[in-house]
Amino acid sequence: MKALTANRLLDGEVVFWNEGRWVEQFSDAQLFDDADPAGEEAVATGKSQPTVIVEPYLIDLTETEAGPVPVSYRERIRALGPTNHPTHGKQAEANAVNAAIAHAEGAARSTGRLDLIRRK
Amino acid sequence: MPKLIKRDADGQFAAAEDAFIDIREEDGVPAAIPGNGPVILSLARFQEEGDALLSGGRQVGVRIASNEAIEDLAYDLPRLALVALEFPKYRDGRAYTSARLLRERFGYTGEIRAVGDVLREQAGFMVRCGIDAFEVSDGSSPEEWAAATHRYRHVYQRAADSRAPAWKERA
Amino acid sequence: MYRYDEIDREFLADRANEFRLQVGRRLAGEITEDQFKPLRLMNGLYLQLHAYMLRIAVPYGSMDSRQMRALADIARRYDRGYGHFTTRQNIQFNWTKLADAPDMLDALAAVDMHAIQTSGNCIRNTTSDPFAGATAEEVDDPRVWCEVIRQWSTLHPEFSYLPRKFKIAVTAADHDRAAVKVHDIGLILKRGDDGSLGFEVFVGGGQGRTPYVAPSIRKHLPVDQLLSYLEAILRVYNRHGRRDNIYKARIKILVSSLGAEEFTRQVEEEWSKIDVAAANLPDTELARIRAAFAPLPFQALPATSEAFEAAKADPAFARFARNNVRAHKQPGYAVVVVSLKKVGDTPGDASADQMDLVADLAETHSLDDIRVTHEQNLVLPHVKLDAVPTVYAALAAAGLATPNIDLASDIIACPGLDYCALANARAIPVAQDIAARFDDDRADLVGELKIKISGCINACGHHHVGHIGILGVDKKGEEFYQLSLGGSGAEDASLAQILGPAVPANRVADAVDTLVETYLTQRSGEERFLDTFRRVGLAPFKEAVYAEAH
Repeated sequence: MKALTANRLLDGEVVFWNEGRWVEQFSDAQLFDDADPAGEEAVATGKSQPTVIVEPYLIDLTETEAGPVPVSYRERIRALGPTNHPTHGKQAEANAVNAAIAHAEGAARSTGRLDLIRRK
Repeated sequence: MPKLIKRDADGQFAAAEDAFIDIREEDGVPAAIPGNGPVILSLARFQEEGDALLSGGRQVGVRIASNEAIEDLAYDLPRLALVALEFPKYRDGRAYTSARLLRERFGYTGEIRAVGDVLREQAGFMVRCGIDAFEVSDGSSPEEWAAATHRYRHVYQRAADSRAPAWKERA
Repeated sequence: MYRYDEIDREFLADRANEFRLQVGRRLAGEITEDQFKPLRLMNGLYLQLHAYMLRIAVPYGSMDSRQMRALADIARRYDRGYGHFTTRQNIQFNWTKLADAPDMLDALAAVDMHAIQTSGNCIRNTTSDPFAGATAEEVDDPRVWCEVIRQWSTLHPEFSYLPRKFKIAVTAADHDRAAVKVHDIGLILKRGDDGSLGFEVFVGGGQGRTPYVAPSIRKHLPVDQLLSYLEAILRVYNRHGRRDNIYKARIKILVSSLGAEEFTRQVEEEWSKIDVAAANLPDTELARIRAAFAPLPFQALPATSEAFEAAKADPAFARFARNNVRAHKQPGYAVVVVSLKKVGDTPGDASADQMDLVADLAETHSLDDIRVTHEQNLVLPHVKLDAVPTVYAALAAAGLATPNIDLASDIIACPGLDYCALANARAIPVAQDIAARFDDDRADLVGELKIKISGCINACGHHHVGHIGILGVDKKGEEFYQLSLGGSGAEDASLAQILGPAVPANRVADAVDTLVETYLTQRSGEERFLDTFRRVGLAPFKEAVYAEAH
């Protein structure tokens, strides 16, 4: 399972792709099967929107009891907000998916991880 | 075709015709030198063939790669038509040092041309280091180069241009 | 405080205008992200995990109340009510919007501040002793020379596209509070044998992936030769520093591969060719800059204060006076260190209200002077001893009087993976876990102990020079932490040695506990943790930590 993420150009907000629009909550993100070409197509669409978002990439998801959550803790922190300020970022919105992300453990490295120097 | 912009002694920027042919290697094979018009050669090629071309009355410029020492050209400067400094990437700042040394250490007064990844964001730095011709790679115009160069009313340090640093303005 | 004049102000206005145009071109799609990124980085604007981050320069860590209030205002208006003071004596805002950044630069320029060269492969903000101008130890005020360097390095036409970033630190005291030996260039002001003022010049120190303590390349550079000599060093580096590998591009790698002797020879040779009369600042300008640091109106006071001594009847104040108050050169005054390390809070963070309070206290009680330390605390450098109890009470009410300066809970931590796009692991929660193990009594019992945490190999949290250094690593996708011991960024600079295999996040605080208990067992007399480590070596610490793991 994968989801498409990026940062919004105007304010840097973490956003996720859903059927042609960018949404702010992971719980609203469109999910792609690993083999589904729609994921890469969405990346291409994202790359054609350089005045809307910056550096779109797919992230790996893992199944939990409460549904799919990002595999890597880096992406979980992006999906929620900083752990030292529990009211800052997306985690301020209480929903079941956010709760699942917050409790996810046993991370593996996401293939969606970027070249970090480039990312800066 | 990259556009050539020149800055004259009065600091005015204008589009310029480029009479020079830049002789580059193609697939490791040195290109032939055509006709008898002005040419730009790599440092190695100049060291091999420069004398012959110059004594034939040809205008010759030399292109210095960013990892080459400008000192190697010191004795030839009076007979060169121009020195082209390569910016393989705009981030490669070695050519700024080469330009300053040409102006300040070797007293070179001929054309110094920036070639390669030449962007208007670098205009202020290039002009201050003594570069006065720009083979721009971002399609920018002479007006944009003039604006970029004059964006700052003050500078803090002396360089190869004639601008008075802040401490001189204050005195 | 150095007073900006019209030239400095017009320069900052021009810079802000330039960035506004660049942002406009980016938002309009006229330039790509690849073209825009270096432009925003030159203005300290990073794209981090949750938002943009704006890093604002606090030149040599010095500011006044007006500037601190402007930072508080920015925190409220453009951020989420707080900012993060860094190991480069700067401040970062974590929730910046690109669309707001030009307005933020305007707001900064209005109080003579900026974000110039807080990122990029250029000469960064020069750091210095946070007690400059207040400590009796110093032979001269290092800020004068920092300001000389600030002006010279600002948009330097030759040295703005170096192989890699470049950091300079200046101090003038025997006690090094600026970590000068782990900088690209470290300058220590000293008197020569003939009494003349000069710099001992250290080049090629640094942290990051490959840490080095800088060798000294010149024992006594006459102070008026500073700029020509810097020009020689930077020119050798600009020409010969590696550009093919980002991890080998810092000047420390050049110095190390050439050897200090050959590097020095090349610098001296280059220097001999420079027209030094033109390259150095004339004495008149040096004098003008010195004079622009307005002399402070110290009052003639007795060396001791009854009010200060009487307040020590309160054990909490006595502890604060012991741990957070330092000697001042002027009788009757003290240096007060404001702790941004309240246990449970984020190291280095200050809320807008706290910033305003510090500004008020500085204006009323510290001759309008505030400093940022590289250890992520603030300093009120010129407080009358009589006023220290009042200042303490105000700080304590705002959570700024934790009596832990240089103690185990005074931890340096980078933002780590909670904010930073480069990080491999979090640093803040680890610092919070460790600090929670050290209440005031235990911290006092343990004494000086510098714990420094970085969330990745870039070492913004200075883990290589921690008495206990902690480096976050990503081990098969999980947060692990590598411990190291025996580093120091002070005058006795040394690099920490790795203790052993990395431990998981939930074991770090236990491991630190074990290290501290081992120290307490081994301690002889008044030894600091660092001294004991240097005497007994790694073995007993290693045994204690890894024995428990079995």
